[in-house]
Amino acid sequence: MSSEVTKSSSRLWRATGRTLTGLNPALESVLAGVVGLLAGALLMWIWGYDPWKAYMAMFRGAYGDSYGLASSAARGAPLILTALTFSICVRAGMFNIGAEGQLYMGAIAAVTIGYFTLPSGLHITAGIIFAMIAGAVWSLVPAILKLTRGVHEVISTIMFNWIARFLAFYMVAFILVDPMRGEKTISIPMNARFPILVRGTDLSYSLFAAVLFAIVIYFILWHTTMGYEVRASGFNPKAARYGGIKSKRTMLTSFILGGLAAGLAGATVVMGNPPTYAVISGLPQLMNVGFDGMAVAMVGRNHPIGIIIAALFFGGLTAGGRVMQFYGSNPVPLEMVRIVMGAIVLAMSIPELFRIFPAIKKQGTELFSLLRRLTSRVSHKEGSA
Amino acid sequence: MTESTARAKEKEEQEFFLRAEKITKVYSDGTVALKEATLEIHPSEIIGLLGENGAGKTTLTKILSGLLPPTKGRVISPRGPVRFGSPREALDFGIGMVYQHFALVGTFTAAENVALSHEHPFSTIQLADTKKGLEQLMEESGLHVPLDVPVEKLAVGEQQRVEVLKVLSRDVDLLILDEPTSVLTPLEVNELFALLRRLRKDGKSIIFITHKLKEVGSITDRVVVLRHGEMVGDLKTAGATTEQLARLMVGKAIDVEARAVELTEEELPHRESARVEEMKSGPGILHVENLNARGDTGKIAVEDLSFDVHAGEIFGVAGVEGNGQTELVESLTGLRVPTSGVATINGTNILGKDPREIYRLGVAHIPENRWELGLILPFTLAENAILGVHQWDEFKGPLSFLRRRKINQHVQELMERFEIRATGPSAPAKSLSGGNQQKLIVGRELAKNPDIIVAAQPTRGLDIGSAQYIRDLLVEMRNNGRAILLVSADLDEVLALSDRIAIMYEGRFMTIALPADLDRETIGLLMGGVTAVKEGV
Repeated sequence: MSSEVTKSSSRLWRATGRTLTGLNPALESVLAGVVGLLAGALLMWIWGYDPWKAYMAMFRGAYGDSYGLASSAARGAPLILTALTFSICVRAGMFNIGAEGQLYMGAIAAVTIGYFTLPSGLHITAGIIFAMIAGAVWSLVPAILKLTRGVHEVISTIMFNWIARFLAFYMVAFILVDPMRGEKTISIPMNARFPILVRGTDLSYSLFAAVLFAIVIYFILWHTTMGYEVRASGFNPKAARYGGIKSKRTMLTSFILGGLAAGLAGATVVMGNPPTYAVISGLPQLMNVGFDGMAVAMVGRNHPIGIIIAALFFGGLTAGGRVMQFYGSNPVPLEMVRIVMGAIVLAMSIPELFRIFPAIKKQGTELFSLLRRLTSRVSHKEGSA
Repeated sequence: MTESTARAKEKEEQEFFLRAEKITKVYSDGTVALKEATLEIHPSEIIGLLGENGAGKTTLTKILSGLLPPTKGRVISPRGPVRFGSPREALDFGIGMVYQHFALVGTFTAAENVALSHEHPFSTIQLADTKKGLEQLMEESGLHVPLDVPVEKLAVGEQQRVEVLKVLSRDVDLLILDEPTSVLTPLEVNELFALLRRLRKDGKSIIFITHKLKEVGSITDRVVVLRHGEMVGDLKTAGATTEQLARLMVGKAIDVEARAVELTEEELPHRESARVEEMKSGPGILHVENLNARGDTGKIAVEDLSFDVHAGEIFGVAGVEGNGQTELVESLTGLRVPTSGVATINGTNILGKDPREIYRLGVAHIPENRWELGLILPFTLAENAILGVHQWDEFKGPLSFLRRRKINQHVQELMERFEIRATGPSAPAKSLSGGNQQKLIVGRELAKNPDIIVAAQPTRGLDIGSAQYIRDLLVEMRNNGRAILLVSADLDEVLALSDRIAIMYEGRFMTIALPADLDRETIGLLMGGVTAVKEGV
């Protein structure tokens, strides 16, 4: 009877494991999203909020009407780009977490176009190019350190994030400061701003820039020799070298592409985000956009198309969260949204756990058989004595 | 007389330390690594375990040291049968093994590494105890290593001594050393041998795995020879000759050679002409002169090699693995920068060039490790089929876009021509069987239309059908006038396919000869590093 139970439970266990390991990557992400929301619900319930009401408010706020959709997309646009920064480097076998700093530098560079005038089309292009170059240059230093001195990119990009942050503080406070208002930089001139896409919302054409860039990255990675080389050295550097691929070049390429993306993200925040069109001191609009991009990249499975969808989801969480915290009878603090995001990222690792589960299981059976042998030996000894 | 010998025999039997009885090991993939091997180990004895690659030496010792369970057979001690579930249990019993690849933590000191292998590695008291114990042990055994230096700072020989200390500190009676001299300099080898002799005097048993005939003669008391998993010889070193050992180790030719005879019926004239051509003509397609290269550890791996590979010839390099074959292949294919020498393809220098440039010169490379080098497993068949040629105009369109249609067409052709069985061009390479993976690599390389093919272990781990298919392909390429450099640890394969054979030992060619001029005994001797044939042990 008990062996029946063990048998069927182990079968269930195995079946669950198999389902999870065979899970489609997209499904894994959906599953992670659901788990994250459930974890958030549990916490809300513990703290005495009504999770159902809160989530209804959040989703209505995020996707319920055109205003909600527009503000979700507006928040998602820069996340698409910073997620790309992370993903391109993951595809190349590296862990670039410098999107945050590169984003700051892109934003700062974009502000500088406020100091001169150009015809409107050219002016906006100049802003984008400045920002992208600034992002790329900022990513180049960790890249060169890695290629020439072997400095690990995780360390150097984290350090460069801090340098960028305080450099940006300084620039905002002393160099690019608006002479009329000390708390922000000068504003981007009217003709260099991304036009508003949906009237009455903060969604601008910068969304198109982000989506277009994601599509370009998709084509580069999967349809050109450059992307082929990047992915080859990401999967198997030795085989890539055997295939005549110079891994140093692919590393540099992916760092530069990532830097361009993060720089562009900076431009979209400054040039496409009403009402200020400037960098405010303390960088509130920029803070964490680079780091959240990493979560978006993970949920988007490091694929540009997946990233677009994941960015809209994360943008929706932020946009909807603002509605949620003002929802009359049930005001759930915005921090809950960040908890949900964190839970999602953690949940992304669940299928991986099951993938390594066979190993864990094997260890368990070995331990069990060892124990059995030991006990039998002891009983044997007792018998002989 | 009979009584006394019987008594002596009885005494001997009582005195044995451990006996492995009729051990059979079948791996889960069906490979029979050992067939009813029986080995008796006595105290104060150094046993040489001799055999080619894949003869079962390592399997046998892994079973003795508790790393693998035997499929059949048992291990007996004087007190009855024993069974080791893990290396730790074997250690507790008194059996310790030193592997070819050391299990040391580089940033830890010798004392810390030894302490790590004990029960409570992280208590400071234990570390102090270990150090005191080690100092005493070093005094007793005459084995000295600096205890307070991180082991990564030590020379390889010293690291090995740390490994030996680690095992000795567990008070073992049987010490198993897997190819211990392969990483050592001659001086370090002498030191190791002196140590082993001292240990023997203290009553320890030692199993010494090797393929070097000279070492067998100079250090062992008894030699056990394994071939294809079978124990083919167990003799006292004093009475054995090197020729005898070489013959035992290499054995008689098996089926592959029969097949080769069949092959050469029609190709015989070709072989002859190749021979004449070789004697007449000067430099071949591949010309190598005084090539020197170092291995990953900095040890000289390829020493002063000079040879030519001509069009329409298979130049086979035989030898036990780890004698510089890998480094030779890597030097010729752009994966390793040699220290000095000349190597040209059709007169163009290739040393120091990267693989892409070398492929352009007409080189195809079938690498020895298909999972690590030859394929990118998560990539699709189509993506793998263009690895190395992805920059060629055939597959690269404007703006460096990949020409999907051309690539798919190419893969379809490869799949048909080389009988690669897969669900389609977009199947991931890891979903293919080993044979099909290798066919994919071979197909990709041969489709480059190369002048010279460098084939390293081209049939390793393949089923008989796939292996034969690939051998036939190489012969076909040879007959089409390509030059082929075949490096293989499978002696039968090299003998069957090659027009000329080089035997590699410690980075040098012991000889370059026609297969007909070499008998197996000579080959065995040369593979074991013995040049003078009529030398006793």
